[in-house]
Amino acid sequence: MEPIGAGLALLGVVGPGIGIGILTGLSTQAMGRNPDAAPVIRANMIIGAALAEGLGILAFVVGILLALR
Amino acid sequence: MQESSEARPARARNRYLPLWIAIGAVLVADLLAALVIGFPDYPTIEIEPIAPHVLFPVGPFTITNSIVTTWVIGAVIVVLAVALTRGLRLIPNPVQNAVEWIYESLANFVVSLGGPAAKRYAPLFIALFIFIVLSNWSGVIPFFGKVEWLRAPTSDLNVTAGLAIVSFCVFHLEGIRVLGPRRYFGKYFNVRGFRHGPIDGVIDLFVGLLEGLLEFLKPVTLALRLFGNVWGGEVMLSVMTALLLAVLPLPFLGLELFIGLIQAFIFAILTLVFTVLALESHDDEHATAGEHGEEGPATVKRAAAAA
Repeated sequence: MEPIGAGLALLGVVGPGIGIGILTGLSTQAMGRNPDAAPVIRANMIIGAALAEGLGILAFVVGILLALR
Repeated sequence: MQESSEARPARARNRYLPLWIAIGAVLVADLLAALVIGFPDYPTIEIEPIAPHVLFPVGPFTITNSIVTTWVIGAVIVVLAVALTRGLRLIPNPVQNAVEWIYESLANFVVSLGGPAAKRYAPLFIALFIFIVLSNWSGVIPFFGKVEWLRAPTSDLNVTAGLAIVSFCVFHLEGIRVLGPRRYFGKYFNVRGFRHGPIDGVIDLFVGLLEGLLEFLKPVTLALRLFGNVWGGEVMLSVMTALLLAVLPLPFLGLELFIGLIQAFIFAILTLVFTVLALESHDDEHATAGEHGEEGPATVKRAAAAA
Protein backbone atom coordinates (compact mmCIF):
# COMPACT_ATOMS: atom_id res chain seq x y z
CA MET A 1 0.00 0.00 0.00
CA GLU A 2 2.90 2.38 0.59
CA PRO A 3 3.53 3.18 -3.10
CA ILE A 4 -0.15 4.06 -3.54
CA GLY A 5 0.02 6.29 -0.50
CA ALA A 6 3.16 7.95 -1.83
CA GLY A 7 1.44 8.65 -5.13
CA LEU A 8 -1.60 10.05 -3.36
CA ALA A 9 0.60 12.24 -1.17
CA LEU A 10 2.01 13.90 -4.24
CA LEU A 11 -1.49 15.15 -5.09
CA GLY A 12 -0.70 17.74 -2.44
CA VAL A 13 1.63 19.43 -4.89
CA VAL A 14 -1.36 20.58 -6.96
CA GLY A 15 -2.43 23.24 -4.48
CA PRO A 16 0.89 25.08 -4.20
CA GLY A 17 1.17 24.87 -7.99
CA ILE A 18 -2.12 26.70 -8.43
CA GLY A 19 -1.13 29.15 -5.71
CA ILE A 20 2.25 29.98 -7.20
CA GLY A 21 0.65 30.34 -10.62
CA ILE A 22 -1.91 32.85 -9.36
CA LEU A 23 0.72 34.69 -7.33
CA THR A 24 3.20 35.01 -10.17
CA GLY A 25 0.51 36.01 -12.64
CA LEU A 26 -0.88 38.72 -10.43
CA SER A 27 2.51 40.09 -9.44
CA THR A 28 3.58 40.19 -13.08
CA GLN A 29 0.44 42.18 -13.81
CA ALA A 30 1.23 44.50 -10.93
CA MET A 31 4.80 44.96 -12.18
CA GLY A 32 3.47 45.75 -15.64
CA ARG A 33 1.13 48.37 -14.27
CA ASN A 34 3.61 49.91 -11.91
CA PRO A 35 7.17 49.21 -13.08
CA ASP A 36 8.63 51.54 -10.44
CA ALA A 37 7.44 49.24 -7.68
CA ALA A 38 8.87 46.16 -9.39
CA PRO A 39 11.66 45.43 -6.84
CA VAL A 40 9.27 45.53 -3.89
CA ILE A 41 6.71 43.39 -5.69
CA ARG A 42 9.37 40.91 -6.73
CA ALA A 43 10.67 40.53 -3.19
CA ASN A 44 7.19 39.95 -1.85
CA MET A 45 6.45 37.55 -4.69
CA ILE A 46 9.50 35.45 -3.82
CA ILE A 47 8.48 35.34 -0.16
CA GLY A 48 4.91 34.32 -1.03
CA ALA A 49 6.10 31.73 -3.51
CA ALA A 50 8.44 30.30 -0.89
CA LEU A 51 5.63 30.03 1.64
CA ALA A 52 3.34 28.34 -0.87
CA GLU A 53 6.10 26.07 -2.02
CA GLY A 54 6.80 24.92 1.53
CA LEU A 55 3.44 23.15 1.58
CA GLY A 56 4.26 21.34 -1.63
CA ILE A 57 7.57 20.30 -0.11
CA LEU A 58 5.69 18.89 2.88
CA ALA A 59 3.70 16.67 0.51
CA PHE A 60 6.89 15.70 -1.31
CA VAL A 61 8.67 14.72 1.92
CA VAL A 62 5.69 12.65 3.07
CA GLY A 63 5.60 10.92 -0.31
CA ILE A 64 9.32 10.14 -0.24
CA LEU A 65 9.15 8.86 3.33
CA LEU A 66 6.32 6.52 2.33
CA ALA A 67 8.09 5.41 -0.83
CA LEU A 68 11.37 4.61 0.93
CA ARG A 69 9.84 2.71 3.82
CA MET B 1 20.66 11.11 -46.22
CA GLN B 2 22.00 13.98 -44.15
CA GLU B 3 25.07 14.31 -46.36
CA SER B 4 23.02 14.85 -49.51
CA SER B 5 21.00 17.63 -47.92
CA GLU B 6 24.12 19.31 -46.55
CA ALA B 7 25.72 19.26 -49.99
CA ARG B 8 22.94 21.40 -51.41
CA PRO B 9 23.63 25.11 -50.98
CA ALA B 10 20.48 25.97 -49.09
CA ARG B 11 20.62 29.00 -46.79
CA ALA B 12 17.85 28.03 -44.41
CA ARG B 13 19.54 24.71 -43.79
CA ASN B 14 22.95 26.23 -43.17
CA ARG B 15 21.56 28.43 -40.48
CA TYR B 16 20.51 25.50 -38.36
CA LEU B 17 23.49 23.32 -39.25
CA PRO B 18 25.52 24.07 -36.05
CA LEU B 19 22.49 23.25 -33.95
CA TRP B 20 22.01 19.88 -35.65
CA ILE B 21 25.71 19.12 -35.34
CA ALA B 22 25.60 19.95 -31.63
CA ILE B 23 22.55 17.76 -31.05
CA GLY B 24 24.16 14.93 -33.01
CA ALA B 25 27.39 15.26 -31.04
CA VAL B 26 25.51 15.13 -27.75
CA LEU B 27 23.60 12.02 -28.81
CA VAL B 28 26.79 10.35 -30.06
CA ALA B 29 28.56 11.16 -26.78
CA ASP B 30 25.63 9.75 -24.84
CA LEU B 31 25.61 6.56 -26.93
CA LEU B 32 29.39 6.20 -26.47
CA ALA B 33 28.95 6.60 -22.71
CA ALA B 34 26.27 3.91 -22.75
CA LEU B 35 28.58 1.62 -24.73
CA VAL B 36 31.52 2.29 -22.40
CA ILE B 37 29.44 1.49 -19.33
CA GLY B 38 27.85 -1.41 -21.15
CA PHE B 39 24.15 -2.06 -21.37
CA PRO B 40 24.15 -5.09 -19.05
CA ASP B 41 25.61 -2.96 -16.24
CA TYR B 42 23.32 -0.06 -16.87
CA PRO B 43 23.66 2.14 -13.78
CA THR B 44 21.01 1.60 -11.19
CA ILE B 45 19.38 4.62 -9.64
CA GLU B 46 21.04 5.27 -6.30
CA ILE B 47 18.94 7.50 -4.10
CA GLU B 48 20.82 9.27 -1.34
CA PRO B 49 19.56 7.99 2.02
CA ILE B 50 17.70 10.52 4.15
CA ALA B 51 19.73 9.74 7.25
CA PRO B 52 23.35 10.90 7.09
CA HIS B 53 26.15 8.37 7.33
CA VAL B 54 27.58 8.09 10.84
CA LEU B 55 31.37 8.28 10.74
CA PHE B 56 32.29 7.81 14.40
CA PRO B 57 30.64 8.30 17.78
CA VAL B 58 31.92 10.89 20.26
CA GLY B 59 30.47 10.18 23.67
CA PRO B 60 26.69 10.45 23.43
CA PHE B 61 26.93 12.23 20.06
CA THR B 62 27.75 10.97 16.63
CA ILE B 63 29.83 12.71 13.99
CA THR B 64 28.15 12.35 10.62
CA ASN B 65 29.40 13.18 7.17
CA SER B 66 27.22 16.29 6.97
CA ILE B 67 28.85 17.63 10.14
CA VAL B 68 32.29 17.12 8.60
CA THR B 69 31.20 18.97 5.46
CA THR B 70 29.77 21.74 7.62
CA TRP B 71 33.20 22.13 9.26
CA VAL B 72 34.87 22.25 5.87
CA ILE B 73 32.47 24.92 4.59
CA GLY B 74 32.76 26.90 7.83
CA ALA B 75 36.55 26.80 7.57
CA VAL B 76 36.40 27.95 3.95
CA ILE B 77 34.15 30.87 4.89
CA VAL B 78 36.33 31.90 7.85
CA VAL B 79 39.55 31.68 5.85
CA LEU B 80 38.05 33.66 2.99
CA ALA B 81 36.60 36.27 5.32
CA VAL B 82 39.90 36.76 7.12
CA ALA B 83 42.00 36.70 3.97
CA LEU B 84 39.80 39.09 2.03
CA THR B 85 39.49 41.69 4.78
CA ARG B 86 43.17 41.89 5.74
CA GLY B 87 44.77 45.26 5.31
CA LEU B 88 41.66 47.25 4.50
CA ARG B 89 42.48 50.57 2.90
CA LEU B 90 40.50 53.72 2.30
CA ILE B 91 41.17 53.44 -1.41
CA PRO B 92 40.27 49.82 -2.04
CA ASN B 93 42.11 47.42 -4.28
CA PRO B 94 39.97 45.35 -6.68
CA VAL B 95 39.48 42.44 -4.26
CA GLN B 96 38.36 44.71 -1.45
CA ASN B 97 36.11 46.48 -3.93
CA ALA B 98 34.40 43.23 -4.88
CA VAL B 99 33.89 42.20 -1.26
CA GLU B 100 32.52 45.63 -0.39
CA TRP B 101 30.18 45.44 -3.36
CA ILE B 102 28.81 42.07 -2.24
CA TYR B 103 28.31 43.22 1.33
CA GLU B 104 26.80 46.57 0.39
CA SER B 105 24.34 45.21 -2.12
CA LEU B 106 23.12 42.59 0.36
CA ALA B 107 22.92 45.13 3.20
CA ASN B 108 21.04 47.57 0.97
CA PHE B 109 18.62 44.80 0.09
CA VAL B 110 18.05 44.13 3.79
CA VAL B 111 17.30 47.79 4.44
CA SER B 112 14.99 48.03 1.43
CA LEU B 113 13.03 45.02 2.66
CA GLY B 114 12.86 45.66 6.39
CA GLY B 115 13.48 49.35 6.80
CA PRO B 116 16.19 51.01 8.91
CA ALA B 117 15.28 48.84 11.92
CA ALA B 118 16.47 45.80 9.97
CA LYS B 119 19.98 47.12 9.44
CA ARG B 120 20.97 45.50 12.71
CA TYR B 121 20.18 42.06 11.26
CA ALA B 122 22.13 42.48 8.02
CA PRO B 123 25.14 40.46 9.32
CA LEU B 124 22.86 37.59 10.33
CA PHE B 125 21.11 37.69 6.96
CA ILE B 126 24.38 37.70 5.03
CA ALA B 127 25.94 34.95 7.16
CA LEU B 128 22.92 32.69 6.72
CA PHE B 129 22.80 33.41 3.01
CA ILE B 130 26.48 32.72 2.36
CA PHE B 131 26.60 29.58 4.48
CA ILE B 132 23.46 28.08 2.94
CA VAL B 133 24.40 28.99 -0.59
CA LEU B 134 27.80 27.32 -0.22
CA SER B 135 26.19 24.28 1.40
CA ASN B 136 23.66 23.97 -1.41
CA TRP B 137 26.27 24.35 -4.10
CA SER B 138 28.60 21.86 -2.45
CA GLY B 139 26.08 19.16 -3.39
CA VAL B 140 26.88 19.77 -7.06
CA ILE B 141 30.63 19.19 -6.64
CA PRO B 142 31.57 15.68 -7.84
CA PHE B 143 31.79 13.00 -5.12
CA PHE B 144 29.71 15.00 -2.64
CA GLY B 145 26.97 12.66 -1.51
CA LYS B 146 28.67 9.75 -3.27
CA VAL B 147 31.60 9.35 -0.85
CA GLU B 148 31.07 8.42 2.79
CA TRP B 149 32.89 11.45 4.14
CA LEU B 150 31.18 14.19 2.17
CA ARG B 151 27.58 15.24 1.87
CA ALA B 152 25.93 18.59 1.19
CA PRO B 153 24.99 19.77 4.72
CA THR B 154 21.62 21.21 3.74
CA SER B 155 20.53 17.88 2.23
CA ASP B 156 20.46 16.60 5.80
CA LEU B 157 17.35 17.42 7.80
CA ASN B 158 19.39 17.71 11.02
CA VAL B 159 21.38 20.65 9.67
CA THR B 160 18.37 22.53 8.29
CA ALA B 161 16.48 21.93 11.53
CA GLY B 162 19.44 23.36 13.44
CA LEU B 163 19.47 26.44 11.23
CA ALA B 164 15.71 26.83 11.67
CA ILE B 165 16.06 26.60 15.46
CA VAL B 166 18.72 29.30 15.35
CA SER B 167 16.46 31.65 13.43
CA PHE B 168 13.50 30.75 15.68
CA CYS B 169 15.54 31.76 18.74
CA VAL B 170 16.71 34.92 16.99
CA PHE B 171 13.31 36.26 16.12
CA HIS B 172 11.70 35.51 19.45
CA LEU B 173 14.59 36.72 21.59
CA GLU B 174 14.83 39.89 19.53
CA GLY B 175 11.08 40.43 19.89
CA ILE B 176 11.34 40.06 23.68
CA ARG B 177 14.40 42.31 23.79
CA VAL B 178 12.79 45.12 21.81
CA LEU B 179 9.20 44.96 23.05
CA GLY B 180 9.83 43.68 26.55
CA PRO B 181 8.30 40.40 27.76
CA ARG B 182 4.98 41.95 28.77
CA ARG B 183 4.17 43.51 25.45
CA TYR B 184 5.68 40.62 23.50
CA PHE B 185 3.67 37.84 25.14
CA GLY B 186 0.67 40.17 25.16
CA LYS B 187 0.59 39.62 21.41
CA TYR B 188 -0.21 35.95 21.89
CA PHE B 189 -2.18 36.03 25.15
CA ASN B 190 -4.24 38.98 24.15
CA VAL B 191 -6.73 40.07 26.81
CA ARG B 192 -6.93 43.70 25.74
CA GLY B 193 -10.10 43.03 23.73
CA PHE B 194 -12.11 42.50 26.91
CA ARG B 195 -12.19 46.25 27.31
CA HIS B 196 -14.54 46.36 24.35
CA GLY B 197 -16.84 43.64 25.66
CA PRO B 198 -16.75 39.87 26.19
CA ILE B 199 -17.27 38.83 22.54
CA ASP B 200 -14.47 41.05 21.26
CA GLY B 201 -12.28 39.73 24.06
CA VAL B 202 -12.85 36.07 23.20
CA ILE B 203 -12.22 36.71 19.50
CA ASP B 204 -9.00 38.62 20.21
CA LEU B 205 -7.82 35.95 22.61
CA PHE B 206 -8.48 33.21 20.08
CA VAL B 207 -6.74 35.09 17.26
CA GLY B 208 -3.74 35.70 19.51
CA LEU B 209 -3.49 32.04 20.51
CA LEU B 210 -3.74 30.98 16.87
CA GLU B 211 -0.95 33.37 16.02
CA GLY B 212 1.16 31.88 18.80
CA LEU B 213 0.56 28.41 17.39
CA LEU B 214 1.66 29.56 13.96
CA GLU B 215 4.92 30.80 15.47
CA PHE B 216 5.88 27.17 16.11
CA LEU B 217 5.06 26.17 12.55
CA LYS B 218 7.48 28.74 11.13
CA PRO B 219 10.72 26.88 11.97
CA VAL B 220 9.18 23.57 10.86
CA THR B 221 8.37 24.89 7.41
CA LEU B 222 11.74 26.68 7.22
CA ALA B 223 13.61 23.44 7.90
CA LEU B 224 11.48 21.23 5.68
CA ARG B 225 11.51 23.66 2.76
CA LEU B 226 15.29 23.88 2.60
CA PHE B 227 15.78 20.17 3.19
CA GLY B 228 13.12 19.14 0.68
CA ASN B 229 14.46 21.35 -2.06
CA VAL B 230 18.11 20.41 -1.69
CA TRP B 231 17.61 16.72 -1.06
CA GLY B 232 14.92 16.47 -3.74
CA GLY B 233 17.27 18.21 -6.13
CA GLU B 234 19.99 15.65 -5.40
CA VAL B 235 17.57 12.79 -5.94
CA MET B 236 16.54 14.37 -9.24
CA LEU B 237 20.20 14.75 -10.25
CA SER B 238 21.04 11.12 -9.52
CA VAL B 239 17.92 9.89 -11.34
CA MET B 240 18.69 12.07 -14.35
CA THR B 241 22.33 10.99 -14.39
CA ALA B 242 21.31 7.35 -14.30
CA LEU B 243 18.81 7.84 -17.11
CA LEU B 244 20.72 10.18 -19.42
CA LEU B 245 24.38 9.27 -18.66
CA ALA B 246 26.50 11.96 -20.34
CA VAL B 247 26.15 15.64 -21.29
CA LEU B 248 22.36 15.61 -21.13
CA PRO B 249 22.19 15.89 -17.30
CA LEU B 250 24.15 19.16 -17.49
CA PRO B 251 21.08 21.46 -17.72
CA PHE B 252 19.80 19.88 -14.52
CA LEU B 253 23.06 20.83 -12.81
CA GLY B 254 22.38 24.43 -13.85
CA LEU B 255 18.84 24.18 -12.51
CA GLU B 256 20.22 22.79 -9.25
CA LEU B 257 22.63 25.73 -8.90
CA PHE B 258 19.77 28.16 -9.47
CA ILE B 259 17.50 26.41 -6.95
CA GLY B 260 20.31 26.40 -4.39
CA LEU B 261 20.77 30.15 -4.75
CA ILE B 262 17.04 30.90 -4.56
CA GLN B 263 16.47 28.65 -1.55
CA ALA B 264 19.37 30.18 0.39
CA PHE B 265 17.94 33.59 -0.40
CA ILE B 266 14.48 32.55 0.73
CA PHE B 267 15.72 31.10 4.02
CA ALA B 268 17.62 34.30 4.81
CA ILE B 269 14.76 36.56 3.69
CA LEU B 270 12.19 34.67 5.75
CA THR B 271 14.39 34.82 8.84
CA LEU B 272 14.75 38.57 8.34
CA VAL B 273 11.03 39.14 7.72
CA PHE B 274 9.99 37.03 10.71
CA THR B 275 12.42 38.97 12.88
CA VAL B 276 11.09 42.33 11.71
CA LEU B 277 7.53 41.07 12.22
CA ALA B 278 8.34 39.98 15.77
CA LEU B 279 9.52 43.52 16.54
CA GLU B 280 6.08 44.94 15.73
CA SER B 281 3.71 45.38 18.60
CA HIS B 282 -0.01 44.96 18.08
CA ASP B 283 -0.85 47.47 20.80
CA ASP B 284 -1.57 50.43 18.61
CA GLU B 285 -3.84 48.73 16.10
CA HIS B 286 -6.99 49.92 17.87
CA ALA B 287 -5.50 52.97 19.52
CA THR B 288 -4.76 56.24 17.80
CA ALA B 289 -2.23 55.82 15.04
CA GLY B 290 1.40 56.71 15.58
CA GLU B 291 1.35 56.52 19.33
CA HIS B 292 4.20 54.05 19.54
CA GLY B 293 5.76 55.34 16.38
CA GLU B 294 7.99 52.34 15.78
CA GLU B 295 5.87 50.81 13.04
CA GLY B 296 7.62 48.66 10.45
CA PRO B 297 7.71 49.87 6.88
CA ALA B 298 4.92 49.12 4.48
CA THR B 299 6.97 46.42 2.75
CA VAL B 300 6.99 44.18 5.75
CA LYS B 301 3.27 44.53 6.28
CA ARG B 302 2.63 43.47 2.73
CA ALA B 303 4.98 40.54 3.24
CA ALA B 304 2.99 39.65 6.32
CA ALA B 305 -0.17 39.67 4.25
CA ALA B 306 1.51 37.23 1.88
CA ALA B 307 2.40 35.03 4.82
